[in-house]
Amino acid sequence: MKNNKFYFKNRILLALLLSLVVFNSCTKKFEEFNTDSNGVSNTQLIPDNNNIGGFYPELQYSIVPNNPSGANSLQGVLGEYHISCPFAGYLTEAYPEESPGNSYNFTGWDNYGLWGIGYNAVMAPVNNLKTLGTPASSPDFWAIALILQVAEMHKITDIYGPVPFSKYGLGGTTVSYDNQQSIYTAFFDELDTAVNNLKKYIASFPGSNPFKKFDVVYAGDYSKWLKYANSLRLRLAMHIVKIDPATAKQQALKAIDPANGGVFTSNADNATSKGGFNLLWSSSKQWVTIRAGAAIVSYMDSYNDPRISEYFEKSSFDPTKYIGLKQGYVQSGYLDLLKFSDISEKFAQSTPATMMTVSEVNFLLAEGALRGWNMGGTPQMFYEAGIQNSLDQWGVGGAAITYINNSISKPNNYVDPLQPLNNSPTLSTITIKWDDAAAKEENLERIITQKWIANFPDGTESWTNFRRTGYPKLFPVTASRNNSGGTISTDIQIRRSPYPVSEYTNNAAEVAKAIIILGGPDNGGTRVWWDVNGPNF
Amino acid sequence: MKEYLSHKKGLPVYFPKNNPYFLFGWFSILTLFFCFNATAKGYSVNKNIKFSTPKAKFRPMIINTKDIEVSGLITNAKGEPLAGVSVKIKDGKQGTSTDTEGKYSISVPDNSMLVFSFIGYVTQEVIVNDKIKIDIQLVENAGLLGDVVVSALGINRSSKSIAYSIQKVTGEVLNVVPQTNFMNSLSGKAAGVTISSNASGIGGSVKVLIRGNKSATGSNQPLYVIDGIPLINNPSEVTPSTFEGRDGGDGISNLNPDDIESMSILKGASAAALYGSAAANGVILINTKKGKVGISKVNFSSSYIADKVAYKPQLQDSYGQSSVGSEFSWGKATTTATDNITDFFKTGNTLVNAISFATGAEKAQTYISYSNTTGSGVLENNSLSRHNFNIHETARFLNNKLSIDVNANYIQQTLNNSPNLGYLNNITRLYLFPRGLDFNQYKNPTIYDPIRKMMTQNWFLPPSSSGAMNPYWVNNFVQNKSDRNRTMLKIAAKYNITNSLSFQLRGNVDKINDKNTSNWYAGGPIVRAGLNGQYGVNNLTNTLYYGDAMLNYTKFFGKIHVNTILGASINDSRNNGTGISSNALYIPNIFTIQNMDLASPNTNSYSVSEEHSQLQAAFGAISVSFNDWLFLDVTGRNDWSSNLSYTPNGSYFYPSAGISTILNKALKLPEVVSLARLRGSYAVVGNSVPIYVTNPQNYIGRGGGVIFNNTAPFADLNPEKTKSLELGSELGFFHNQISIDFTYYKTKSTNQFFSILVPPGTGYSRRFINAGNIENSGVELTMGYSPLAKGALKWSTLINFSTNKNVVKSLAEGTNEFVLAQDNNNYYSILKIGGSYGDIYGYNLQNDSASGKVKLSADSVPLVKTGAPSFLGNPNPKFQLGWSNSFSYKDFTFSFLVDGKFGGEVLSKTEMLLDNYGVSKATGNARDNGGVAINGILPNGASVSKVDAYKWYYSNTSNKVNGEYMYDATVIRIREASISYSLPSKMLKNGFIKNLRLSLIGRNLAYLYKPAPYDPEIAYSIGNGFSGVDVMNLPALRSVGVNLNITF
Repeated sequence: MKNNKFYFKNRILLALLLSLVVFNSCTKKFEEFNTDSNGVSNTQLIPDNNNIGGFYPELQYSIVPNNPSGANSLQGVLGEYHISCPFAGYLTEAYPEESPGNSYNFTGWDNYGLWGIGYNAVMAPVNNLKTLGTPASSPDFWAIALILQVAEMHKITDIYGPVPFSKYGLGGTTVSYDNQQSIYTAFFDELDTAVNNLKKYIASFPGSNPFKKFDVVYAGDYSKWLKYANSLRLRLAMHIVKIDPATAKQQALKAIDPANGGVFTSNADNATSKGGFNLLWSSSKQWVTIRAGAAIVSYMDSYNDPRISEYFEKSSFDPTKYIGLKQGYVQSGYLDLLKFSDISEKFAQSTPATMMTVSEVNFLLAEGALRGWNMGGTPQMFYEAGIQNSLDQWGVGGAAITYINNSISKPNNYVDPLQPLNNSPTLSTITIKWDDAAAKEENLERIITQKWIANFPDGTESWTNFRRTGYPKLFPVTASRNNSGGTISTDIQIRRSPYPVSEYTNNAAEVAKAIIILGGPDNGGTRVWWDVNGPNF
Repeated sequence: MKEYLSHKKGLPVYFPKNNPYFLFGWFSILTLFFCFNATAKGYSVNKNIKFSTPKAKFRPMIINTKDIEVSGLITNAKGEPLAGVSVKIKDGKQGTSTDTEGKYSISVPDNSMLVFSFIGYVTQEVIVNDKIKIDIQLVENAGLLGDVVVSALGINRSSKSIAYSIQKVTGEVLNVVPQTNFMNSLSGKAAGVTISSNASGIGGSVKVLIRGNKSATGSNQPLYVIDGIPLINNPSEVTPSTFEGRDGGDGISNLNPDDIESMSILKGASAAALYGSAAANGVILINTKKGKVGISKVNFSSSYIADKVAYKPQLQDSYGQSSVGSEFSWGKATTTATDNITDFFKTGNTLVNAISFATGAEKAQTYISYSNTTGSGVLENNSLSRHNFNIHETARFLNNKLSIDVNANYIQQTLNNSPNLGYLNNITRLYLFPRGLDFNQYKNPTIYDPIRKMMTQNWFLPPSSSGAMNPYWVNNFVQNKSDRNRTMLKIAAKYNITNSLSFQLRGNVDKINDKNTSNWYAGGPIVRAGLNGQYGVNNLTNTLYYGDAMLNYTKFFGKIHVNTILGASINDSRNNGTGISSNALYIPNIFTIQNMDLASPNTNSYSVSEEHSQLQAAFGAISVSFNDWLFLDVTGRNDWSSNLSYTPNGSYFYPSAGISTILNKALKLPEVVSLARLRGSYAVVGNSVPIYVTNPQNYIGRGGGVIFNNTAPFADLNPEKTKSLELGSELGFFHNQISIDFTYYKTKSTNQFFSILVPPGTGYSRRFINAGNIENSGVELTMGYSPLAKGALKWSTLINFSTNKNVVKSLAEGTNEFVLAQDNNNYYSILKIGGSYGDIYGYNLQNDSASGKVKLSADSVPLVKTGAPSFLGNPNPKFQLGWSNSFSYKDFTFSFLVDGKFGGEVLSKTEMLLDNYGVSKATGNARDNGGVAINGILPNGASVSKVDAYKWYYSNTSNKVNGEYMYDATVIRIREASISYSLPSKMLKNGFIKNLRLSLIGRNLAYLYKPAPYDPEIAYSIGNGFSGVDVMNLPALRSVGVNLNITF
């Protein structure tokens, strides 16, 4: 019996000891358990430079959202094609909703601008690259990151005004906003760094192509990235021409300085991200919630523009005609809305997304020249090159001469086949053919109108140009459909987007300060920094 | 111990020195670790003995002993015969045992003393003294202890020794009205427990909330424990938005309710202190049936229940479609509006058949059961079928020192076409169908497309529209199927080393395999179904391994009894699986992976590879009792969680303490007081965090790019702590005819783990923090009255009352609010300091500050407030009340349960949509009246008393003015009623059938008060967000049925 007891006691002791041993050794595997085997660590990515380069494809696809991974699809569709494009007169939502694109009503849509993409899909990975030491270890890769950051973030500040930038990525739960002027200054500085880094790399390692594997835009050609950086600088320079003409001119001249690598000179230079998932196609063919805008169809139709069949389908009201849908239309049924011209079948799921084109550069040069800056040519020369390049880009270059020389056609009135309330008389009498004798203002309208047609479907940039210059002249929303509660003028139209509601719920104190910097209430009627209420010249 | 017992006065129990039965009984009592109290109950044993003496008046005066033949029937407390009971002459060798019918007969000297002993029962002795028939009802050991409950770790304890509130619900009570998810049956039956069911129809999940929401981002559902071992109850519900969601039922619903012996609800953190993290929201302990020694029976039960929808939306019949092809009903007057809804909903049927076999010999007891559930929902093609197999074996070895308990369950369940949650479901387009348009033309949902040479959808909206959802098409051509195979295997072994020391080892595997498929046929909305249809399939396996080891030491020291437990456990959970879905199919309506364009961005594949979480724990508990009226409990537990790796705080300790006293034993109280018990406890429960949050990683996206993870790593986290204080009393009066149980509790959940959205400009869009304090406090009151039966009519009644107040005391430093959930239609669930959990935020109309009137634009459109959303209401009830009654008269029993949830506000997005589309009764009435009567003001200051119905409703609904669609959530209903008839036992005497009961049952029979347009108990989601929101929820059901229960 005694033996028995002893035996049992020992067994229990043994069991307890055993369990202690088990505990001590088992927790060692905890880190392994708590690591998602579907995830990738920076260490795993080291082979072939994936730890740095691996982030670039998604970054490039985020500028004009067309990520093949499916990231940013909803925000991209809504931000680009349901908000910016209607404001630019390109597209109209074929959806009976009180949305910003239809009726200036942001309620419930505030979180669907490009804000999230700008910060989560561009700023965050670029910041991560910085943390990983890319600026020092791979200055050439860092240059690309900076170019992409500028390409994205100028859209964000142009849409909202003051936004977080210099204090980005400091962690915590709040972040302060910067005024737009300082953000533009930072953009120019970042482009300086990018250009210098690339120039240095090209000079030191001629023919070397380390970025090729990660490049979905230029297949690793740094000279083209240089041109893209300079073209972006030219675009940004022109944005601030009214608020700060001196800097604008200085930056424009810097952009075209051949010593810096120059700007786009042919369609082969165009920045397009390939291999993605085209969201314009998705909006039109999958979501089936957009139709051609009344404004662009009226202009192109009256100009007999050969690009119209590349952009749009004919309507089903009258299969011989292109009919756009006016922003802020008076309510029709969804089925009726679908009868307006759709996006052309030529926009496919795999159509590359265009970030910037040579024709836009041509029109920027034309405007610079018109302003008397030494752009290396006359306004007319650049203007006509812009049209030619755009028509070439769309494969209809043969019609360019006729088109360029058309001095008669003027924009049509808008007639809604269903709802006479939506009818609008044309606001413009601008023609295509260059007229040196015309006033500067008229020629500016000419340049911006053609740039607008060429820039389709870059709604954000065209909305910026519309706000900056007042061109092209766009049909206003039907007055009864202006549901902004009086904050947005039907005549001068929407000037910015209100901040996302998420900033109010998560960053309230800083938004309050941002509104002071903005200098007006946080609504669509307040002008951003470069949006000067004054003459163009 | 033996001495102690022997000294008890008047103890009519005999303790032979070498009786193995006795020894075992003794051990099992010890393991129950409470004070043995035979004194009080000992006398009552005698009541259970029936004697018959020979009728002869003449009794011969014989001094010499003479053998007489004694016979009788031995039964348990329920009157069921016990086989194998030992019948012996005291101090003699002579003996026999009862046969399978519980009968014995023995020839003994007339003046001898008979000893009746049986494992698990109190031994009884009776002097023969001339009696020739001695029938005995043996009392179970447990029965001596008063009410026994299963407490933490599966240990039986007397309820009087427990320092926290524990509510027991028996299997019978749960099964009065059978449910496909039996947790629904708990509604109104337990104080402080709120049950809401998911809107996904048959087989859907339930949300069980005990004493309010505590965790901001973790699960707020209790831990389910079966026979001492935790169960997987991972929800299958996916509700990313109000647009679309799915629910394939939860883990608990898989069980066969007929296998449940009883359920104990441990509400407070004290109860949970030994279970660890997962138990912070309370524990539901389920005790399953086992075979019992000496009882052999077969039980068959069958029930059929018919379900009908309890309500339909109120639609207008006067105004037609806006224009041809329009989705809206803002058009001209019509006379052709019909009721399209009544026919659409079918009568749902549920048939449950269950059979069980239970038998028990001395050394081994067996319970085997099989049940079969088949049901169809109120929607066409929505069906459920389930098979449950269960074997439970208990056996004793090595001179009864070793006992082994094995339980194996296999469950096979198929759920077909569980309806989508949210806008993309069957009923959205049924409700919104333009009034006056002929619905009959779409009742055949297919039409031949001669160009594509296939059947496609017959509907008035084109496939390009997201509204391309003919409800009949959805019933038939939007299919999903969930197949579940689940195996649960449990083994427990316990060895009594010495009289005071025992060791127990338990292990469990719970493995669930789910295969889900979804097929959308071509012709559905392009955005979901693509041009050629959509196919999705996934295969997921979830496995939980659990093991524990416990050493139990128990001993009396005079009047003090001490019981200690020392143990360790391991909880290892793994998820595995792969899935793929695509709406880029090459050939229409062929649902195979081979038919998917794998390169298309519309094809998504994913794998869950070995999601592995482990929790290890060491725990200890000590219980001390003094003289059977003062009880003290102290526990401590330390957890090591793999989810906390990569942080400096990988392990955490938490204690609990409780005290309870029985005043009527300690003091002399007036006669009317039959019970006066006070209890108090304080406990801390720690909680871990979800997997991977300490170590977020980047992922590779389609195309090979690396997608940056916008979630900040949580390197400095601390485990969550819930501290809970509970005070309670139990009072019984007039021999416990009146019983009152009162509890006050307060819990503080601190160091909350929050997954918060931060401004993306901070570098991340989501981060985790530990902060805040959410407090819940409330009272629970249960009052019962069961008057002693006078005559044939018996009545008992029970009232459950509970209230919970939830206050968000603090959040993260410098933060006043967090968004818990939001949709793109202005619904926000916000956690704000001073607010309470579940607060719904949204937008209201603008009111003129001076006059309070609604501000209108110049053309009389109501203006909406802008900026930050404002508070609209909270869906949680202020208090709940349940009132159950049971009447029995002879062989009839009638019972009913009325319950009510009072207070709270819910949001109906359904009503908003009905108004938006112009189909609601309200819009029709407004148009009849020439507009909506309002108290409005124009910008020029002029008052407006009526605005155009379209302007008003269309603007408010398309602007998503949720403030206009909040409703009082109070609901009072007749929850359950049943009438049952048991065949009189006289008629069954000695027959093949031992018991037969037939019941008529009903559930959710009537709403006595319900101002909201839907049943607020039906939730869009059982998760933390989206509660209190109706997004085209399926209506609640009203059920009636019959139940037959036969015991052989």
